[in-house]
Amino acid sequence: MKDLLRLKTSLNEEIEKLLNDQIKVEAHSSAIYLAMSSWCDNQGYDFSAGYFEKQSGEERKHMLKLFKYINDRGGKAISPEIFNIPADFESFRSVFEQALEQEMYVTQQFNNIADQCFKQKDFVTFQFIQWFLQEQIEEEYVARRILEMFDVIGEEGTGRWEIDKHIPKVSYSAE
Amino acid sequence: MPCPFAKLEEVYQTQHGAVYQCSNQNCYWLDFAGDKTAFRVADFLHFKKKVDSIDVASLIIDSSRHADYTILMPFRSERCFALTLNDLLNLRELLDGARFMIELNSVIKSCLKSTPSRA
Ligand SMILES: [Fe+2]
Ligand SMILES: [Fe+2]
Repeated sequence: MKDLLRLKTSLNEEIEKLLNDQIKVEAHSSAIYLAMSSWCDNQGYDFSAGYFEKQSGEERKHMLKLFKYINDRGGKAISPEIFNIPADFESFRSVFEQALEQEMYVTQQFNNIADQCFKQKDFVTFQFIQWFLQEQIEEEYVARRILEMFDVIGEEGTGRWEIDKHIPKVSYSAE
Repeated sequence: MPCPFAKLEEVYQTQHGAVYQCSNQNCYWLDFAGDKTAFRVADFLHFKKKVDSIDVASLIIDSSRHADYTILMPFRSERCFALTLNDLLNLRELLDGARFMIELNSVIKSCLKSTPSRA
């Protein structure tokens, strides 16, 4: 019998589902960062607002990268539903704690996808997600460094103002 | 109805229906509840997902009359399925079996291709 399935798609059904789930996660990250941006803006943390707005854009780009890959491989990318986005946060510090937690969750998801790629012997997709695994090193690094500033600079007096001012300067270099 | 050139091969059959593959038009034919419907590959897989996503447990509990039937109208087909709970379970069984055979065929094909010929 002719193999109609592989004529249509090279993606295994489970891998396609995992990638579609990851589209949801990236869209969710994008929306959370936008909420954080708004909160920071509201509280007068101008630089942080800008930082999160930029992050939100990056997450959307991640989402589209996955979107394109699924469709390019003959699968069907699904435009995600996004809900449960908080509008309020406990404190300046807690915003960044949540951001780090979100990034660690994302890393865990990609690890899981990598694991499935090995199990299904889908090395094409494994190769594709390398970029994301690499990206997560930076994402986690930056989020951690920012959190450390809360201890290094301290929140008292003009501390938060100082921290906010330093946010855009935190960067990662693999060298 | 199948085109005159249709080369139908049976994918899977149960007491309640059958799925055939037409390798000429690259589509699947679902023969269920006295009627045949053609699906493109992606539409067939999507239709199966749709059928699988129906919450059977809640249909059993729900005593209102609309819960007696599940209506499915797949895009790009003229067909309207009005399924009782029984039909639904039968359809699921048929589609499960067909999906498995399609995957199996695919796996066998790729195994055969990756085995170097000893001729
Ligand atoms: Fe991301
Ligand atoms: Fe990220």
